[in-house]
Formats: sequence, structure tokens, C-alpha cells
Amino acid sequence: MHFHKFEKIWLTFGIGALVLFLVILGYGAFYLGTHPQSHGVTIDPQNVEAHEAFKPENLGLTKVDEDRYIVNVVASAFHYDFGVDADGNAINHIEIPKGATVLFQVVTKDVIHGFNIAGTNVNMMVEPGYISSMEVEMNQAGEFTLLCNEYCGIGHHMMYTTVEVYQ
Amino acid sequence: MKQNGKTYTNHEKEPNLKGTLLSVGALGLFIVISWTVVFAIFLSR
Repeated sequence: MHFHKFEKIWLTFGIGALVLFLVILGYGAFYLGTHPQSHGVTIDPQNVEAHEAFKPENLGLTKVDEDRYIVNVVASAFHYDFGVDADGNAINHIEIPKGATVLFQVVTKDVIHGFNIAGTNVNMMVEPGYISSMEVEMNQAGEFTLLCNEYCGIGHHMMYTTVEVYQ
Repeated sequence: MKQNGKTYTNHEKEPNLKGTLLSVGALGLFIVISWTVVFAIFLSR
């Protein structure tokens, strides 16, 4: 088969790129252990409270170690449940120190919701029946909007709250 | 080329693919640059 010299150039480039991206994908998946935010860890959406992490008293921000935090959230139309504070009022704002490693664990009780802290890499889908989790290092100080970015119903645009990363 | 004692010559001229190479190259460059920029944003956040 005859190939034009130029064809050889772009075919080499194209196949090379394909191989390179496959290698990167394999490195991420098999060596670094990267996986989708919801990778088959299931939960009963009718009864999320039965899971240790999503009992009402375990919701919200919990410090587990020096600079290590867990944030457990139950999403439902149209708010994020971070539990209640000492006075029994619903928490709708969380504060995380800069540089902390935070594990976000989110479930939904009804429809598919989004969980996106705008301006950071925290961005996942929350599907009924699955636990979505993601560990991130919060390296940027500031106030961020945590919002639902999967259309979930009539009050979708009201489904947001704030996350503060302080120095 | 020689076949069955007869001589055939390839009269077909090679097509000029310079423009194609340039446009394929430009598209490839665009893809590589945008991938790199998006990946850099991901790493910096």
C-alpha cells in the first residue's frame, strides 16, 4: 500500500496520540487507582440513615486527624443536609482550613443531584443508590459556592450553599 | 515497473497534500493546546 509522505506524518502523530492517551489512562486507573466518583459502592436510597456515615449525627464536617476531614452530605430536592449545629439549627455553611485533605461522601434520597464546589476540582454526580466520594486537597483559600449542577426539579436553582476555605 | 515483459509507468501524479497537512496540523495543534490548558487548570485547582 502506498502512503503519501504527509499521510505518514499525520498517521504517526494520530496513532502516537492514541497510544499516549491510553498509557495515561492506564497509569491513572491501574497505578494511581483513579476511579469515577461513584464506583459501585451502593446504599439503599430509601434508608440512607442506616449507613454509619449518613446517620443524622454524622453529617457535616468531621475532623478525623490533623489536616484531615470528612464531609458527609445527604442531598435531596432541593438542599444539602450537613446536619445540625450544637443549637439544633441546620448547618448551611462549612469552613475548612486551607491545605486540608477532605473526603466528601455524598448520597441522595430522591433524584440525581450534582455536587460541585465551583472553582475547585470537587465535581460529582450523586445518583440514588450509590455513594459518591472524592478526596481533595483544598489548596485555595476563599469562599466557594457549592451547588447542584444536575437538573433535579423545580427548585434546582435554589440548591446551593457556601464552603469557606480559610487561611 | 516491469510485469510480463512489458513496462508500465505510473503516470498518475502524487496529489499535492500540502494544504491538507497544514489543516490537519492546525487541528492537531488546537487539540493538544486545549488539552494541555484544561489539564493545567485541573492540576492547579
